[in-house]
Amino acid sequence: MSGGAIAQSERAASRRRRGLIENAQAYLFLLPAIAFLGLFKILPAVYAVYISFFRWDVVQGAFRGLDNYFDILWQNSTRSQAWWQSLSTTVTYALITVPFEIAIALVVAYVLFQKLRGRDIYRTIYYLPYVTSTVAAATVFFYVFHPQYGIVNQLLGSIGITGLKWFQEPDGIFQMIGNALGVAVPDWAAGPSLALVGVAIFSIWHFLGFQILIFLGGLGNIPLEYYEAAKLDGANQWQLFRRITLPLLSPQIFFVFTIATIGVLRAFNEIFILTNGGPLDTTRTVTLLLFKTFFQQGQIGLGSAMGVLLTLVILAFTLFQFRILGRRVEYG
Amino acid sequence: MNVPQVLPRAIARPLRPRIPRIGSTVFKHLVLILVGAVVAYPFYFMVTSSLKEFFEATSTPPTLFPTSLHFENYVDAWSRQPWGRFFANTFFIAGASVAGEIVTAVLAAYAFAQMNFRGKNVLFALFLATYMMPGEATLIPNFVMMSKAPPGVNPFFPIPRLNLYDTYGAQILPFLASAFSVFLLRQQFLAIPKELRDAAVIDGAGHLRFLWSVVLPISVPALVTVAILSFYASWNSFQWPFIVTSSEAVRPVQVGLNAFRAEAGSQYHLLMAAASFVVAPIILLYLVGQRFLVQGVARTGIRG
Amino acid sequence: MTRMRIPTLFATLALLLGACAGAGPAATAAPTTEADIDITGPVSLTLWHALTSDPQKAALEAAVKKFNDTNGKGITITPVVQGNYTQLYQKTLGAIQAGALPEIVHAYESQVADYQKAAVVIDLEPYMNSAKNGLTKASQDDIYKPYFDTNRFPQYGNQLLSFPFTKSLFVMYTNEDVLKAAGIASTPKTWAEFETAVMKTTQKDASGKTTRYGWAQPLDASNFNAQVMSMGGNIMSADNKTVAWDGKEGLAVLQMYDRLWKGGYAYTPTGFDWQNDFAASKLAFTMGSTSSRPFIAGAMKTPVAWNVGVPPQTDPTKPRTVMYGANIAVLKSTPQKQLASWLFVKWFSDQAQTADWGTKSYYMPVRKAAATDEALKSYWTSKDPQGKQAFDVIGSSIPEPNVRGQQEIRDVIFDMLTKVTTGKATPEAAIKDAGQKANDILKANQ
Repeated sequence: MSGGAIAQSERAASRRRRGLIENAQAYLFLLPAIAFLGLFKILPAVYAVYISFFRWDVVQGAFRGLDNYFDILWQNSTRSQAWWQSLSTTVTYALITVPFEIAIALVVAYVLFQKLRGRDIYRTIYYLPYVTSTVAAATVFFYVFHPQYGIVNQLLGSIGITGLKWFQEPDGIFQMIGNALGVAVPDWAAGPSLALVGVAIFSIWHFLGFQILIFLGGLGNIPLEYYEAAKLDGANQWQLFRRITLPLLSPQIFFVFTIATIGVLRAFNEIFILTNGGPLDTTRTVTLLLFKTFFQQGQIGLGSAMGVLLTLVILAFTLFQFRILGRRVEYG
Repeated sequence: MNVPQVLPRAIARPLRPRIPRIGSTVFKHLVLILVGAVVAYPFYFMVTSSLKEFFEATSTPPTLFPTSLHFENYVDAWSRQPWGRFFANTFFIAGASVAGEIVTAVLAAYAFAQMNFRGKNVLFALFLATYMMPGEATLIPNFVMMSKAPPGVNPFFPIPRLNLYDTYGAQILPFLASAFSVFLLRQQFLAIPKELRDAAVIDGAGHLRFLWSVVLPISVPALVTVAILSFYASWNSFQWPFIVTSSEAVRPVQVGLNAFRAEAGSQYHLLMAAASFVVAPIILLYLVGQRFLVQGVARTGIRG
Repeated sequence: MTRMRIPTLFATLALLLGACAGAGPAATAAPTTEADIDITGPVSLTLWHALTSDPQKAALEAAVKKFNDTNGKGITITPVVQGNYTQLYQKTLGAIQAGALPEIVHAYESQVADYQKAAVVIDLEPYMNSAKNGLTKASQDDIYKPYFDTNRFPQYGNQLLSFPFTKSLFVMYTNEDVLKAAGIASTPKTWAEFETAVMKTTQKDASGKTTRYGWAQPLDASNFNAQVMSMGGNIMSADNKTVAWDGKEGLAVLQMYDRLWKGGYAYTPTGFDWQNDFAASKLAFTMGSTSSRPFIAGAMKTPVAWNVGVPPQTDPTKPRTVMYGANIAVLKSTPQKQLASWLFVKWFSDQAQTADWGTKSYYMPVRKAAATDEALKSYWTSKDPQGKQAFDVIGSSIPEPNVRGQQEIRDVIFDMLTKVTTGKATPEAAIKDAGQKANDILKANQ
C-alpha cells in the first residue's frame, strides 16, 4: 500500500467519523422538536384511528371495528342524519363565505394598492379584526346583531326591514325573501338559515384583513411592464384588470381559496359563541357535531371517528384543489 | 402545502403604486372609508357600549355615543372574576409556549438548513405531514392523553396517560414544537451564505457556536415574527384550554371571557368592558409589532 | 345500541358499591360504615357550580365562607364557577373522562342521572340516616317531600344521589301596570283568561306590526313541562319508560304557542333579555324560574307593580307547576372527603342557613320551618314580596323527570318548540315527531 493510499483511507475514515458526528449532532438538534411533535401530533393521529375502532364512551369498551364509521355514515339513523346534515351545513357555510371573502378582499386590495394618502391607516384598521381573538370578536358581534339592542336591525329598519332574529333564526334566507315577496319557496330551496348567514358575515369580517394582506403582496409582484405594454395596445381599465391583474394574481387567489376553505371547514370558536350550533341545528357544522358528540355526550369513540372522517374530507379537498385547480393557476 | 413558493415575498419591499389608476381619488377614499367604517364599527360599539350605563346599553335603538361616561363599568367587570389571575395565566402559558417553540424550532430548522444527515428528506416530509394534520383529528386523543388513567387501565399502553388535565402543562406541552415555525426559520437559515459557515469552520467553531454567534443575530426579524405569531396564537386559543381545564387557577383569559358571557347575562355594558380589556393587550401588540406580524402573515400565510 | 350495555354495567357496579358503602336506609347505623366515621384532619374540597351572577354567586360564596369558618373540623371548600348549567354539565362530563372530578357538583336531576352512568355519584341515604352525622327523622320530615322525590333515582335503585340546593319554581310573572293600562282587573287564573289577556295587552301599529308583545316566553323544556302540568297533563308515563307530554295537554300547549306566535302576540326573546323588557313594561307576561326576581328588579328604571304566582291552570282549584332549580351531588373521592362533603350539604339545609339563603339568593328555602324564621319573614315583607308569593307555590310543585336520557330529551323538546314557534311544523306533526324521538332515547337508555 502506498503512502498516498494510506493517507487517502485515513482521510476517508476521518470523513466518515465527521459524518457520524454530524449525523449524531443533527439528530440531537432535531430531538426536542421530534419528541414534542411525535407525542402530541403524530402519536395522537394514530390513536385517533385506534380510538375510533372502539365503543368508547366514558371508558374504553369493546372493539367494534369500523362500526362507528358505519353508524355515522348510514347504519344508525339518528347519527347518520346528524352527520350528513352537518356536512351539508359545513359545505354551505364554505360556499356562502369563501367567494364573498375573496371578492371583497380583492376589490379592497386593488383600491388600496393605488397611491393614496393615509393608506397605512386604512391598512391598520382593516387588519384589526384579524388580530382580535375569535371569542372576543364574536361576543361583540352577537351584540352588534342583537335584534333589539344592536345597530344592524336599526339600520335595516330604516330601509323597511324589521324584526330579523339573526342568530336565533332557523329559517332559510331564500324562504324569508320569498315570504316577504309573497312567493312560496319550496323547502329544498330554502337556503342557508339566517343564523348561518350571520356566522358567515362574521367570518368574512374577521378574516378580511388576512385576504387583503395576501392580495396586496401579490399585486406588488406583478411587473409593471405588462400594464404598460397592454396600455400601448389600447386596453381599457377593465381589460387590464381582467387580462393582467386577475391572471397574475391567481396564485394568491388560489392560495387564499385553499386556506380560507380549510379554515371554514375547521371553524369552531365563532359558531360556538354565536349560535352553539343552533337554532334547530342549522349552524351545527361537523366541528360542532364532533365537539358535542365528544364533550356533551361523552362518546369518545364516535367523536374520534368523526375527526378521522373530517380529516379525510379536508385531505380530499386539498388534493382536489392541487390536482385540478392548481394546474390552472398561472405562475406568471 | 407549498406555502413559501406560492407566496409573495414582496410585502417588505416598498409597494410600487404605479398600477393603472381606477376611478377618482375621492371615489376610492369613499370606498375605503366605507369598508373601514364597517370593519371598525364593532370595535367602536364595543368601547362606547362599555362606557354606557345598563339602561342605555339595552335601549332600542342603540345610542351612537354614551350620554354619560361610566368608567366604573371596567372596575365592576374586573371585580366579577379573577381577571388578574386569568391574565397572568395567559401570559405565562403564552410566554412558555413561545420560548419553548423558539428553542425547538431554531434547533430543528438549523439541522434541516445547515446540516447533512441520513433520512433528512423523510424527516422533513414527516414534519410537513404534521403541519397539514388538522387539529380536529387529534383533539380527542390529546384529551385522552391528558387524562388520568381510569382504575384498571394501563397508564402507559396503548395510550400514555399524562394525568395533566387542568394544569398549565396541558396548555403548554402540545405547543412546544410547531412544524410551521420550523419551516419558517428553515427558509431563513437556508438563506445564510455558505461563506459564513466556511469561515466559522476555519475558526474551529462548532454548529452550536455558529448558530449562537452568527446565525441567530442575523435572524432576529424572523425570530420576532415566529415569536409574535406564536404568542398571538396562544393568546387567542380557546377550544383546547376550554376542554382541558376546569379550575380558575389555570384558566386563561379567553375561557374566562366565555365564562363571563354567562355571568354578565344581559348586562352588555359589563360584557363589552370585559371584551375591551381582553382584546387590549393583543391590539397593543399588533400596533407595536405590526411590521413583524404583517410580514409573518404575508410570508407564511397563517390564517389563524 | 351503543349506550345500552355500559350503563347497565355501571348501574350494577353502582349497586355493588352502594352495598359496599354499607348502611342502607333501613339498616341501623353500624359504626363501621363510611357515614359514621370522624373527620380526622383538614380536608379541602372543590365545589363546581353554575351560579354565574350576583346576587346568587355572592350569596353562595358568602355561605361557603361561613361554613369554612365555622365547621370546626378543618373542612375548607373552594367554590368554582363553571359557566352556565350546560357548560357545567359539559365540564363535569369532561372531568369524569379525565378522571379529575371535584368532590361536590351542582347539577340538575337529569344531569346527575347521566353522571351516575359512570358510577361516580355517592348515595347520600346512609349519610342522611347516620346516627352520628345524619339528620333526625323530624328534621328529614321538615324538608318538603317533593325535594326528596326529585333526588331519588328510580333507575338507580331509588338512591338519594343528590340533595336540594338552588331550588326555585316555575311561575308566571305579571306586570300589573301593563294589565291595568289594558283594563284587566286581575292576574289571569285560567289558560283561556291568559290568552285573552295576552291579546288585549299586545299593541300593534296601523300596519299590523306588533309594537308591544303581551307575552315573552323563552323556549325551554322545563317551561313546556310546567305548562303541560298546569293543563292537567303528565310528563312521564307511570313506569317511566315513555313520555306522556306528547298527549292532548302537550298538544294544547303547542297549539296555544302556535296561535299566539303567529298572531304576533308572543315572541321568543334572546337569552335573558326578556327580563329587561318586562322591567321596562314592554311586556305583560313572562314565565320562568322564580330565580329571575333579582334581575327583573335590578332592571327596573322606574318602579313597576308586578307579581309572581302559579301559571294559569286548567283547574285553578288544584294548581300544578314544575319544581325548578338544581341540586347538589357528592362525587366519589375518599371516605374523609365524602363525609366532609355531606357535612356541607347537611349544613346548607339547616333551618338557619336555608332561611338565610332565602333572603340572599332568591332561591327557595328547603324547609317548611323556614317560613317561621323572623329574618326571612321581615325580608319578604320589606324587600321581596314576590319571594313570599313564590314560597307559597312550593306545595303545588311537582318534580321533573330524573331518568337517564332526560338531558337529551330536553333538546328534543326545545327543537319541537322552535319548530312550532317559527312555523316550521304544525303542532300536531311536531309533537308526534318529538314524542317518537324522546321514546327512542328512553329506550336506548333503559
